[in-house]
Parts: sequence; structure tokens; C-alpha cells
Amino acid sequence: MTSSVQSQKTQQLMIHFQNRFGEALLVPEQSYIMYGDTITINRFKYYVSHFELTNEQGKKIILPVQYYLIDAADSVSGNIILNIPIGQYRSIHFLLGVDSLRNVSGVQSGALDPLHGMFWTWNSGYIMAKLEGTATSSQIAGKQFTYHIGGFRGNNNTARSITLPLSVTNNKVSIITDAKKWFERPYPLIIAKEPVCHSPGTLAVSIANNYVNMFSILSQQK
Amino acid sequence: MKYRKTIGVIVVICLICISWVTGNQYFKPTPVKLMVPKGWSEPVYDFKSNPLTKEGIELGRQLFYDTRLSKDGTISCGTCHQQFGAFNTYDHSLSHGYNNSLSTRNAPGLFNLAWQKEFMWDGGINHLDLQPLAPITADTEMAESIQNVLSKLQAEKEYRRLFKAAFGDEKITTEKLTKAVSQFVLTFVSGNSKYDRVMQGVDTFILPEKLGYDIFKKKCVSCHTEPMFTDYSYRNIGMPIDPFLKDLGRMKITNDPMDSLKFKVPSLRNVMRSFPYGHDGRFFSVMTVMEHYRKNMVPDPRTDPLLQNRLPLSNFEIGQLTAFLHTLTDTSFLKNPNFAAPGKGISTTAPVDIHN
Repeated sequence: MTSSVQSQKTQQLMIHFQNRFGEALLVPEQSYIMYGDTITINRFKYYVSHFELTNEQGKKIILPVQYYLIDAADSVSGNIILNIPIGQYRSIHFLLGVDSLRNVSGVQSGALDPLHGMFWTWNSGYIMAKLEGTATSSQIAGKQFTYHIGGFRGNNNTARSITLPLSVTNNKVSIITDAKKWFERPYPLIIAKEPVCHSPGTLAVSIANNYVNMFSILSQQK
Repeated sequence: MKYRKTIGVIVVICLICISWVTGNQYFKPTPVKLMVPKGWSEPVYDFKSNPLTKEGIELGRQLFYDTRLSKDGTISCGTCHQQFGAFNTYDHSLSHGYNNSLSTRNAPGLFNLAWQKEFMWDGGINHLDLQPLAPITADTEMAESIQNVLSKLQAEKEYRRLFKAAFGDEKITTEKLTKAVSQFVLTFVSGNSKYDRVMQGVDTFILPEKLGYDIFKKKCVSCHTEPMFTDYSYRNIGMPIDPFLKDLGRMKITNDPMDSLKFKVPSLRNVMRSFPYGHDGRFFSVMTVMEHYRKNMVPDPRTDPLLQNRLPLSNFEIGQLTAFLHTLTDTSFLKNPNFAAPGKGISTTAPVDIHN
């Protein structure tokens, strides 16, 4: 059972993505300790799109497709306002990344404009999410790590469907995005061993299988 | 009397509306229809998403030949895609890029792009409108950022005017930039060679050309399919890997080891005018390509099944094939003044290819 939003009475749902590294707020160029390693995050960007809601009756509401690029360096980018039908909802769904269709549809504008640095020009396709920084354990120039995660074809797809509970009816929800999850489960990503990922493939998929776990609901305010 | 007044007011309002609407219709680019040579399939490019217009094509031409697209203002698209070489890099194995860098591939000829789905030797680019972004941003080519290109162009009054004429608005965006370049290069249709005229029944092959065509149809046509003279597939033709470039070709895009050293089958149209050959330009003449096929190639298990035993060619066959390949030269394309740099006309002293 699905329906799209058309000429129904709507309300606004304000979503705030709060970027974190573990328990701490993620602030670009700030340092964090992870397994005894000192980590600095310089860049953290990701696409979200295809928002959907499931209401109390279990009916899925598909919202018009929009693409948002969330950039930890730009706090405004984490605020998204959706127009949704008035109702009570039990869960929210969205896609982390850009669907395969937009990856094969030529040059795009807005959030998908290739000038945002989230597009591979030599191997057409979007970088779904990007995490860059330095770590004392890194064995490459500048002690860097750079993870540009993309790939949209078949088994190399790195876009991930996210579902989070929405327990009460209100118009505000804060979603935590924890970048530390990139390193945790199920794939133990070790910066000293794998400091770079710049192309679609096995490593990118492993990291995507980690970042699928990075979202959680912070709190619901009445 | 009362009604007449009301009607009068309505008429006046209508007139104002009409003049306002027509006044806003200043944006009327002139539509252009792509010329499809007789007997060819319909183009695969989606012209609905980017309709060809005189203004869009002209803007694309300005951009194609503008060196400001590069970081230091010395390289344009036209620098490595030269009309007299069917828009390849004539006489250069690898293209020369920013700050004395060398690129890793031979710039291929540009023509009949409306029939092509994937671009680059490895097919990594899946849409023509995305193609310009790769050379603009590559460190060994134009080495510039998209944002900088847009800012540089936005600052030019002439470009603001050209973008407005082509797209109805002065704001220069990535999408308009690349679509304009697409419009220009989409007009590069090469389908008027002697071969084409023979196929249309208005010209005839001389004997060596005819014998060459027969040999071609026996030994070459399964990959260099007519009328495009490529089937756009990726194939490993037993070219050993270059130890410095370490270019794995298609495998870089698909991660599939079976695609190792596969490269796109190039079109043979204008081949006699577009040396050197091969993805890294390692073959400096058609003769070396023939020697590769019959003698020098190093087949491995991933080499194309059609070439597992190399491609036996006698000296006689090479001679006739070469005669046939000459019939694929489309002079009207190579010298079409509409494709030349704006205001310069075509070069009447195109270099003579002494390598074939």
C-alpha cells in the first residue's frame, strides 16, 4: 500500500541531521581519539534522498524525490524540511546516497551538481558519502585517510536504505549521523591498513555496509 | 453603455497581458535538426533533454575553443582535439596537459557522438553531457575546478550574453556549460566519405578499394562494424601493458579481471588522417597497426577470441585494406568551417601525414 503526496492537507516535518564522531559532536578539523589513534575529520559529506514515511496504519507515504547534500562544514545543510500529509507516523525511510537512475541520467543540477565534489568525472557516478581526515596511524602522505564511497551498479552499489522509528507525531526530528560507525561493524576498517578508497568495488561496499549503521534518532520533541 | 465600458477595460487588460507575455518571449533560440546520414540508425543521444539550437551550438563552439577552461589558460578542448585530425590529438601519442604534464591516453577523434553511449577508451563516462568535466578537472589535462571555470566565465560579459541567448538566463551553471559543449560536438557528423557515397550508389570504388573492402568484410568488420566502423564494444587485442602507464583499461571501471586490457573499439572513419593509434598512441602508423595484428600482438587468455591466433594478413591484403581505409576519409567533415575555432576559419594547411 503506497500513495504519493498530492493535494492532501500537509504539515511540515523538520529533520535535523546532527553529525557526530562517537558521542561527541563532529566538528571539522577537531580531533577525536579512536582505539588510541588521534583522528581529525576534515570533511564529512553525504547524500540523502527518497524520503518515505510509514503511518500508524502501516501505510507507506512516498514523498516527492528530492536530493540533499549534507556537509558537516555547513550546519545549515543538515536541516531539511519536508511537506508531509497530516497524520501519525511510526517510521521514516530514506536513501543514503543517490539512486542508480540519477547516476546514468547525464549532467544534474542543484544538490547533484558535479561541482560539489561528490561526482567522479572519470567513471561517471556519485560519491554517496565522503569522509576525509588525518590519523596518527595513517601510513600515507600527510597522515591522511580519504574515503570516497560510491558505486551504483549491481553488487557494487553503495547507496543504502535507512529506516528509523518515529515514535510520536510531532514536526521535529533529530537524526544522529555518527561517522565513527564507518570504522566499526561489520567490517573492521583499519586506517593503518586501508587509508584510501576512491573507486567503486569491494572496499567501498564493505564501508557502505558499515555506514548503513551510522543513523539513529536523537530525541523527539513535542 | 455600462457594459461597453467594462468590455473596454477588459480589452485593455487583455492587450496589456498580451504585450507583457510577448515581451517576455525574447528567449527564442533557433532550433537546429541534426543531420542523420542516409541508412543510419536514430541517434542514442536524448535531444529532448538538450534540444539543439543555433545559439547553443555557437556557445558550445566558443567554449570548445576557449583556453580559459584550463587552470593556466593555455589549453582548450580544441588543443587536443584538432579538426584536421578528425578531432584527435594529431601526431601526439599522449596529450599534453597542464604544467608540462602528459596524460595517460591518446585523445580520440570526435565524431558521430550522438550514436555513442559511453565515452573514453574505457567507457567510464556514461553520458555525453558529463564528458567535458573529466578533461577540465584532470590534473594532467586542464587541471581546473568546475567552480573556477564557472566563475571565470560568469565574469565575462560576452559569455553572459551567449548563455542568455542559448538558455534564456545569464546564470552560468555546470549543466548549461556541459550541455552547450554537447550541442557543439553533437553536430560533428562524419558520414560523407567516399565509402558513404559508394554505398549510396553515387560513386564507385577503384579496384584496390573494392578488394580492400572485401578483405575488410572478411577480417575486420566483426568489431569495426559498419556504418560506424565500431561496435562500441571493449576488447583486448593483445597489446601488452605499458609498464609506466599500467593502464588496465575497462577493468578500471568494472573491477572485473576479465576486462583487463580491454579498450573501446575505435571507429575507422577518418583513420588515415588521425594517427597515432591505440589507447596510448603507441602505433605511429596504420602499417604498425597491421604489423601488430599479424605479428606483434601478445595474445593472453583474455585476448579477444577472434584474435587468439592473431590476424593473418598478407602484404597484398594490407595494401588493399589500406586503399580501402583511405575511402573512409571525410574531407567535408575535416574542413567544415562550422566546426573550426570561432572567427578563424579552417586551417588550409593541415599537416600531411607522412607516417602511413
